[in-house]
Amino acid sequence: MPVLKTKHFGKLSYETPSELEFPVGLPGFDDRKRFVAVRLVESDPLIYLQSMEDPALCFITMPILAADPQYRLKLTGEDLGYLGLKSTRQPRIGDDVLCLTVLSIREAGPTANLLAPIVVNLRNRKAVQAVAPESDYSHQFALMPQEAIPQEAMPQEGAVC
Amino acid sequence: MLMMSRRERETILIGDDIEIVIAQIGRSRVKVGIRAPREMPVMARELKLVREENLAAAVASPAAVSNLLKKLHPTLQVVRKQSDEVNVGQEAGT
Repeated sequence: MPVLKTKHFGKLSYETPSELEFPVGLPGFDDRKRFVAVRLVESDPLIYLQSMEDPALCFITMPILAADPQYRLKLTGEDLGYLGLKSTRQPRIGDDVLCLTVLSIREAGPTANLLAPIVVNLRNRKAVQAVAPESDYSHQFALMPQEAIPQEAMPQEGAVC
Repeated sequence: MLMMSRRERETILIGDDIEIVIAQIGRSRVKVGIRAPREMPVMARELKLVREENLAAAVASPAAVSNLLKKLHPTLQVVRKQSDEVNVGQEAGT
């Protein structure tokens, strides 16, 4: 099993299906194209995206439906192309793609970037951060800790990790 | 904010160096051509927001992460119990 140097967990061995390829990187990190999705039972529902190229770079994410159970994914033709998906229909979260929201930890509390979800094609592990041009979603959605997160909001997406 | 009406293929100048051409007007979107000095970054506003948000998200310290987990923990008790059963075999690293 390959071993990876990580920001938060020291050295970590992982299964190769957890490797994700971002063909165009992420905004602000355009040259970071390979990440490993790390899910640990003790930090559920968080999913860490650890850069394979830079041990100091690790995003903290969670399934977007856990942050907003009503979330509607809408990808541009360009992003569908990067993912290797047909442009004729939108992918379904959980069935076709894993959809994660990147978390930021602020003094006022954690926020989730719903404006630009990370979308992973479950069949080929290609991923993009999909910036939605015509979206009303916030890039700093407050994750209120007192808000109960419904059980059905947790999709069974463990296969990628 | 200054508002101007322009037709297709008409141009707006900003200072001496920046030129904005209304290249094409569709039903719900316009195609805009921008000529600007190389050192002047030009990008869609939402891309700038995401870029800044990513830079902010990338600096989380291990302490901040465990704090976040503590905050999320009380509300996630029920969910955890359920998903633990599902995920035990899929733990990424030990």
